[in-house]
Amino acid sequence: MSSSRRKTDTSIIDDVLKNPSSRRTFLKGASFAAAVTSAALAAGCVPGAEAASEETRLQWKEFFKKNYRLMTQEEKRQTVARLERLAKIRQDMDLQIGTEPPVAGVLYGYGFNISRCEGFMECVSACIKENNLDRKANTQYIRIFEMEPGKLDPATGNGQFFHEVPVEDKFYMGTQCFHCEKAPCTRACPTKATWKEPDGIVVVDYDWCIGCRYCQAACPYYGRRFNWGKPEVPKDEVNRKQHYLGNRLRPKGKMEKCTFCIQRTRKGRLPACVEACPTGARVFGNLLDPDSEIRYVLEHKKVFRMREELGTDPKFWYFID
Amino acid sequence: MKTDTSPLFLGLLGVTVLVLAQLPLFCGSSAASEKSFLGSVKETTAPFDTHSVQQVQPIVEATVPANERYQGGSFRVLARKSHIQRYKCSSCHTDKKVLVKNGAALTHGTVELSHGSDTNVLKCIDCHHPEDRDYLEDKKGRKIDFDHSYQLCGQCHFRQKRDWTGGAHGKRVQYWAGERVVYNCTTCHDPHSPRFEKRYPATYAVPLN
Repeated sequence: MSSSRRKTDTSIIDDVLKNPSSRRTFLKGASFAAAVTSAALAAGCVPGAEAASEETRLQWKEFFKKNYRLMTQEEKRQTVARLERLAKIRQDMDLQIGTEPPVAGVLYGYGFNISRCEGFMECVSACIKENNLDRKANTQYIRIFEMEPGKLDPATGNGQFFHEVPVEDKFYMGTQCFHCEKAPCTRACPTKATWKEPDGIVVVDYDWCIGCRYCQAACPYYGRRFNWGKPEVPKDEVNRKQHYLGNRLRPKGKMEKCTFCIQRTRKGRLPACVEACPTGARVFGNLLDPDSEIRYVLEHKKVFRMREELGTDPKFWYFID
Repeated sequence: MKTDTSPLFLGLLGVTVLVLAQLPLFCGSSAASEKSFLGSVKETTAPFDTHSVQQVQPIVEATVPANERYQGGSFRVLARKSHIQRYKCSSCHTDKKVLVKNGAALTHGTVELSHGSDTNVLKCIDCHHPEDRDYLEDKKGRKIDFDHSYQLCGQCHFRQKRDWTGGAHGKRVQYWAGERVVYNCTTCHDPHSPRFEKRYPATYAVPLN
């Protein structure tokens, strides 16, 4: 099989050498040769492939996988198996990367009680641990702002407080990705590497992201974070329960964001921030369930969304008691 | 000359039309958002089977069925009695005489009472049953179990109790799906000094990248 391929390669080279060459014919020949070689490598039947390490072969196959949305269930299983094996080879870590699909009849919504939050920031530290966020650059999805009474725009608040909280006559307001129904970030992506899932979660396919940061510029809420370097997480602090679209370890130069802890919520669990909140200021649930807590908040409380006039339709409501 | 400019003009016109077509999408008014997903959310009144979500595990902590109902029916609360260190109270509160030297250990000297306003601080028997120490007592004289303290708290904090029953105060335990299990009032609040203490935040923020 490989010998016949090599014969094709040599015949092309002969053609190129004998025939008068133009830029067009040269590129055509070169791209064909490259395609043939890579196909052979991907299939694992190229001279010297036996010598290539398992890591190289797995990594090579990873280069040729599809966008997550185009993968069949079998292809998802294969790529997850490869990623788990690569993590085992490279870092000796036993990961469980899930590909749980959205639950039917579920649209996630989030409520934030600005009269309950007292700025303890337990949510932020729980989020860092749960989502394997970069400890070196100190990436954080959630930001808590200490706000003056009467102000509702976090731009007017203090996002970098570190003193005993709560302070009298201040209130606290948290921001994160609001998972907009009309998310401007997904429209800005040139490679369709970010999209809104049927259950309303806006996700990123880290292997399709090219790191152009258009989405970050498009987000009016500063909800997205960029990995300028390779994220560093101490090995014993890595959360092993991961999701392909969620908290799996990101490569360098990729966009990431809050995913409502997709690895938890699709299994019925609450996001880490909700579970960690010591004051019960965070409410999470299914908007399509009339009996859910979030629907109770929407129907009985005074709610507002940030910069509603932009028409982005965030699924994150602030409310007061 | 004319043939040169007309394709350019047409092209410009086309671009303008495209830009104009995009405008309503970027400047979507609140009326437009009302039409979108919120309308379908409001119209969804069919109950959602929260037990349809796979992989929901039973809560490990001890729970009891609540004596209340929420909009979705019955629910459970976290049990409290197993967390009260000296329960059962009647094991000490008997007619048996105690020695003076054990007095310090046996009285509740560690309890700091700061519940109520400055002028009207609550006393022990405002909540605890004066005779049967294994129970609480509300102002109507009903015996209330420690596991169902929300019934006692709710007599004054009725707004909070209403919110708690509906889901706007307090929170669920671990899962948003499956059977509803919520934190009890006293799981989060120390009933003797219910306000959360001031402290330093768990972490701090750095400037955005």
